[in-house]
Amino acid sequence: MSAETLLQYLNWLVFLVIFASTLLQAIRRPLPANIDIALLFGVPALVILIGLLSLIGSSPMPAWLNAVSGSLILSISYLLLRLVDDFATVPVALLASAPVLLVALCVPLFVVAPPLPGWLTALQIAYFVLLQLYAGIAFVRAARQVTGVTRRRLRAAATGSVLLGVDIIVLGLTRLGSGWMIVSGLAGLGTGISYFVGFAPPALLRRAWQEPELRAFLGRAALLPRLPTTQAIIEEVELGAATALGAHHASVGLLDAGTQQLHFVIEGDLRQYPVKDDYPAGQAFVRQKPVFSPDTPRDYPQYAAVSRASQSTALLIAPITAGKKRLGVLTVSSPRMVIFAEDDLALVQLLADQAAVVLESRALIDEAARVHAREEATRLKDDFLSAAAHDLKTPLTTLVAQAQLMERRALRRPDAPADINGLQRLVKEALRLRSLVLDLLDASRVEQGQLVGRREEADLTAVVREACSRHDSARHTCTVEAVGPVIGMYDPQRIGQLIENLIENAVKYSPDGGNICIHVWEEATDARLTVSDQGIGIPPADLPTLFERFHRGSNVDDRRFAGMGLGLFICRGIVEQHGGRIWTTSELGQGTTFHIALPRTTG
Amino acid sequence: MVIDDDPSILITVAEILRFEGYEVATATNGADGLRILEQIQPTLLLLDMRMPVLDGWGFTQTLRERGITLPVLIMTAAQDARRWAEEVNAAGYVAKPFQLLDLIEAVEQFQEPPQSE
Repeated sequence: MSAETLLQYLNWLVFLVIFASTLLQAIRRPLPANIDIALLFGVPALVILIGLLSLIGSSPMPAWLNAVSGSLILSISYLLLRLVDDFATVPVALLASAPVLLVALCVPLFVVAPPLPGWLTALQIAYFVLLQLYAGIAFVRAARQVTGVTRRRLRAAATGSVLLGVDIIVLGLTRLGSGWMIVSGLAGLGTGISYFVGFAPPALLRRAWQEPELRAFLGRAALLPRLPTTQAIIEEVELGAATALGAHHASVGLLDAGTQQLHFVIEGDLRQYPVKDDYPAGQAFVRQKPVFSPDTPRDYPQYAAVSRASQSTALLIAPITAGKKRLGVLTVSSPRMVIFAEDDLALVQLLADQAAVVLESRALIDEAARVHAREEATRLKDDFLSAAAHDLKTPLTTLVAQAQLMERRALRRPDAPADINGLQRLVKEALRLRSLVLDLLDASRVEQGQLVGRREEADLTAVVREACSRHDSARHTCTVEAVGPVIGMYDPQRIGQLIENLIENAVKYSPDGGNICIHVWEEATDARLTVSDQGIGIPPADLPTLFERFHRGSNVDDRRFAGMGLGLFICRGIVEQHGGRIWTTSELGQGTTFHIALPRTTG
Repeated sequence: MVIDDDPSILITVAEILRFEGYEVATATNGADGLRILEQIQPTLLLLDMRMPVLDGWGFTQTLRERGITLPVLIMTAAQDARRWAEEVNAAGYVAKPFQLLDLIEAVEQFQEPPQSE
């Protein structure tokens, strides 16, 4: 037996086996696409059988059988076009004219005695090759729109189409030499295998093709619970599921415990569906079983409108459940029936289980964060209270004891002169107490967001000039740099307090004196302000917490610079409640600059 | 001797005790106090705990190291005044804000005032 004949037999065997397998599939699931696939392989199988018959009966084949055989081969192109339509969309005009042309080209095979005129053969070859070319291009383009297993299948289909086109061209050339027979045989074999793995991949191959994307998703899964929002996690899960299954679309529906509805976010829109088993996702959720529907409009007629609108003809859905906690469903869909297979149910359930793990981890992380935030809030409150109490007790000690001392003195020595120093201590400590109490009240207003009152048109430059003039002394000079009025809508009292606080701060932390310089200017829609001093500066490590309650620079000698550490907290409150920003730049030992940006309008 | 970093409290406490007839020395922190202790031998120490330079804990530890034994009353605004007093092995404490009589009674437990005029 020659290599050629061996190759031919092998070819026949492959096609027959593939046909048997696709026929079984079409019988088991009589979907249009499955029937198209079986037909596509049925035709070459028939041609092969005719060829076998002619081998057994040693007499030459009758002409009509030859014509049948030729027509069948030509029809492969048309059948392929129908399959292209199952995977992508073929223009209706093409789909309608292709069979007409096919009949027109086949009729001469039966009526004209061979040999056919050359131009007719050329037309037939052109018809065949052009359709193959079209199919190849259509598969490649469709492959670009999907990922994973589906892309690989479509590429295999494209390869098959190209190989078949080559095969037909080569068959035309076989007259030139027997070597071409081998090429043709190889191309035929390649076509068969490519089409088979493309259109009806066996489960083993499907899994192998799904594996890289699945592996990538599972690799990422451990990181997902740390994403900033649950929606971000859901989007990652959806992307992972769509790529692993080669689907066009995937979406996660989460059960809303309050309304008992499934919430899907599709392209930014929230869609809510009741928990009922009369539509696919509801069914998967209620029955806690994965659902596979290759043709949703047929399987769920009442749901047909939704499935057409969302272009989800084929559906794979699995419940997302952690232990006994039903979290939601994972829906994977495609507008094409041929994309999924029953075997994919296990995979979509695996992905849904993974999603359950990720979402549960997320819930635990959220819960831990909530507990931590509560504890932190309590701790802050305790710190605040004990620090405030401590700071209030110090001036209060002097007030009480000094007042009682003066009382005791006055009782024992009614005629003694007034204790001026004692009185001055009383006044000083009373004022200190007053300012602490006012600061505490302001700090609590900051917390409640009620610090800033009615806003009115005010000139920031004027406010700054006034505050500055009050602090201009021999030890600390205060200068203002401004080109003109900077008008905005402010609470003038609070803005005055802000600038006052910053100047006092600058004075306090410039124990050796120096200049305090305030710039005021307009920048786009903002009023900008900087307050710079030549004081002790702030260590870089303290900058991030500078505006927190009770925070003071670590280089601040506690008693040399009295204060509760509320000043900057209040400043930040004033700025932020005006919709602005405050920040600091500082060089240790060189001085500090506070920067403020305030929007000039309330909008 | 009175040691407190808040000048108002320091002077007020000193004045109160002087008015009762005691002789009073003052210091604004632990280190300051140790220097003064090299010159005088007071009979009682009134000690603030939270101070810059050398705080109450550091100060009492140095006293122990130098073998100086003298009764210490701590004055503090902290809530755990009693625990702090035990920590530094103090003879007692007065919690801020104290009243004049609290202070005087606490001091009298250790030393009666000299007969005033």
